[in-house]
Order: sequence, then structure tokens, then C-alpha cells
Amino acid sequence: MILTKEIKMADVILKNYNTLFILKRFGIELGFGDKTVEDVCKKYKVDVDFFLEILNAYIDHDYFPRKHLQTFSVKLITDYLQKTHQYYHQVKVPEIELLMQDMIQTCYTKKDNLELLKKFFGQYKQELLNHTNREEEVVFPYTLAIEKAYLENNPDKSVLKLMKEYSIDIFKDEHDNIEEKLTDLKNIIIKYLPQPKNSELCYRLLHELFILEKDINDHSRIEDKVLVPKIREMEKQISLKLK
Amino acid sequence: MKKLAFAIFDKSYIIRKGLASIIEKIADIQIIHLLDQEDDILNCIKNDNPDFLILNPDAIAQDLLNKIVSFSKKTKRIALLSGNKLESIPQHFVAVIDINSPQAEILKNLNKLIGEKEIKKTSYNYQEEISPREADILKYVALGYSNKEIADKLFLSAHTVVTHRKNITRKLGIKTVPGLTIYAILNKIIDIDDTE
Repeated sequence: MILTKEIKMADVILKNYNTLFILKRFGIELGFGDKTVEDVCKKYKVDVDFFLEILNAYIDHDYFPRKHLQTFSVKLITDYLQKTHQYYHQVKVPEIELLMQDMIQTCYTKKDNLELLKKFFGQYKQELLNHTNREEEVVFPYTLAIEKAYLENNPDKSVLKLMKEYSIDIFKDEHDNIEEKLTDLKNIIIKYLPQPKNSELCYRLLHELFILEKDINDHSRIEDKVLVPKIREMEKQISLKLK
Repeated sequence: MKKLAFAIFDKSYIIRKGLASIIEKIADIQIIHLLDQEDDILNCIKNDNPDFLILNPDAIAQDLLNKIVSFSKKTKRIALLSGNKLESIPQHFVAVIDINSPQAEILKNLNKLIGEKEIKKTSYNYQEEISPREADILKYVALGYSNKEIADKLFLSAHTVVTHRKNITRKLGIKTVPGLTIYAILNKIIDIDDTE
């Protein structure tokens, strides 16, 4: 189902509970009665078109309105990406760590194995943190600078120096496979981990890992399919203008 | 078992999606990419190296087709055609799908195509257990040795070590060294104290 402005916000969640995480990212709280998507967005000062594109792209991968999403400002896109970073570090990762801690505490026989998994996830967490920090400290500021220069009639020549030192294609190359360790972890739990006594916790852990993975893939898709082509085009135009 | 990767290029969403939903009924096939931009074709071949690429040869420029051919050593091309163009398989293509044929026929032809011997040998592998030799290699990988060091220790060429490692990763579904280390500990290939 493609979501539109006129749909009731409550129905958005009732039909697809996964969208809850995204609402939170836009700062939208529950309790919206029968208000439409448009009304709720207005109340929370959220750009309703952008909100809908993100939701629709999240629900249906084929929907991906590449061209359309690219019409939004870089700031809007990087702000959203930054919020997903916060969600990983402040919500999802701590949740998973807590689950692993619970598993270790309530599992008397296979503590060693679980400690191993926890250590492994700790490494992953660090990797994820390095990854998101790099985006926030280097990549996003760069994309904003490019957009600024792109919108000006006579951009300052200094932007050329910036582009010489860094370019969105460098980002694309260094944009490593952040989900590799996550896939390994899932495979180890599903295929090889001797099942602990409290397998209920183990199922929950897996479930959380799947959710995190889906979200990270979605996040990367926005970067690779929307942000990168958009910036690449801007870089091209700027080079032409300053020639 | 490794699935055969398919990429489909067509401007029409309906055709891409429709074809994908038919092809996905074959268990050994995985659709990795549905492409609607010409630029994406070469990227897809470069990055994902699919086993098959389905496209309409008349829908793209000849020089792009030439590039595709020279880029893709492994990727075989299947032509998506209709009407009177069907009489022969176009140059650079291994097979034709008739866009107007019924589902059963498309599936039959594809099954015949992927059943060909050459592909079977490289892609089908039902054995998922790692061999004793691979376990040897895995042990040293888990202990943190480099490919070169492992090669020296086991009197193998570095190339052989790389091949073994690829097979280990494919069989276990684990890519990273820390992940392999955990597997090795769980399966008592190494002891947890060895890693400290």
C-alpha cells in the first residue's frame, strides 16, 4: 500500500508496525487520534512529502522514488540519516547489549559461548560507531558545503579545493560493508551456537539483529541511491560553472 | 548451495517485476538486481558479477552492449524478445526469452539453461561441511595468522590458501575473521585460551 497525506496516521502504524521506528526518528509521538498524516506532520513541523517518501521507500523497496527523493534538500536527507545514527547508538545497540547481558546472567551452562558473542558484538558496535562518526564529521559537512556552492550563482573557488581533497565517489568507495559482522553473528546463532537453556531470549536477540540489519540496509540504500547521485550531479555542475 | 544470481534490465517496471516473479519460482535462482537505468548495468556487472543478465538487446545502444560483453566474462546474457525477432539467438547472447510465452515454457527453458553442465560444476555444491584441510586453515585464520604465514606453515601457495578461505566462508556463511574465530571455538578447532 502506498501511503498518502490523507491517510490517518494511526492506520499507517496499524498496517505496518515497522514504521513506528521511523515516526520516532521524526520526533512524532503516539496519541494522534484520527488525524491524517498531513495534520500530524504539520503539528510536529515535519516536511510531509519527505516523511512520506521515506516511509514508502522503507515499506516497499521497489517503490524507491529515486528521482523524487533527490529533489529534497541535502540538509533534510542528512538530518534524517543522522537521526537514524542516533537511533542505532541510543536505542538499538543498547537493547541488544542488554539482551546479551540477560542471556549471560540467566544461562548457567554456556556462559563462555555467550561471552564470545558479546565480545563480537562489542567489536561490531565500535565498527558501527566509527562508520557513523566518519559520516557525521566528514561526509555530511562535505555534502552540505557542496549543496551551498551549487545553489550560489558565483560559488567561491575554495569549493574546488574541497572537491579535490574529497569527493562523493571517495565516500562511495570507503562506504564499507558495515553489515558483514551482523550477518556473521546471525549465522553463528542460527547455525552453530549450541542452544542455551533460555532459548526464548536467543530468539529475541535474533529478532533484534534482523531489525537492526534491515534498518541499516535501508539507511545505506538512501545514502547510495539518493545522496551519492545527488551530490555527484552537483559536483559536476559546480565544476562546469567554475571552469 | 550457492544460488545463481540474475540481473534484469528493462525500462518497464511491469516487465522487470513480472519476469522476476516468474524466475524466482526456480529455487536455485536469486534475483539480485532489477535495473531501470542504463548506467547501472555496468556497475551491476562490475560489483555483483551476476551469473545471468536478462535484457532486450534492441533497447540499448550497440556500444553499451559491446561494453557489457567486454566487461562480463562470467555473466551470460539472455535476450528478452518478442514477435518476429525470435527466430535466432542474437550475437553475444546464450538464450532467448519470448515475452509472450506462457510461464511454464519460460521456466522450462531457464531450467534447461541453468542445468547445463558447465554451470553445474562451478555453482552447485551440496557439501556444506568443511574438510579436514579447510579446518587446518581455519585454525590458523582464527588464531590471527595472515594468508602468507598460513601458506608457509602448511607448505601451500598463498593462492591455495585464498581459495580455501573462500570455500570456508561460502560453506559456513561467515565472512569476518572474528566470526570465523567464534566458529572455531564453538567447534573446538581452537581453544578459547589460544586467542588471548
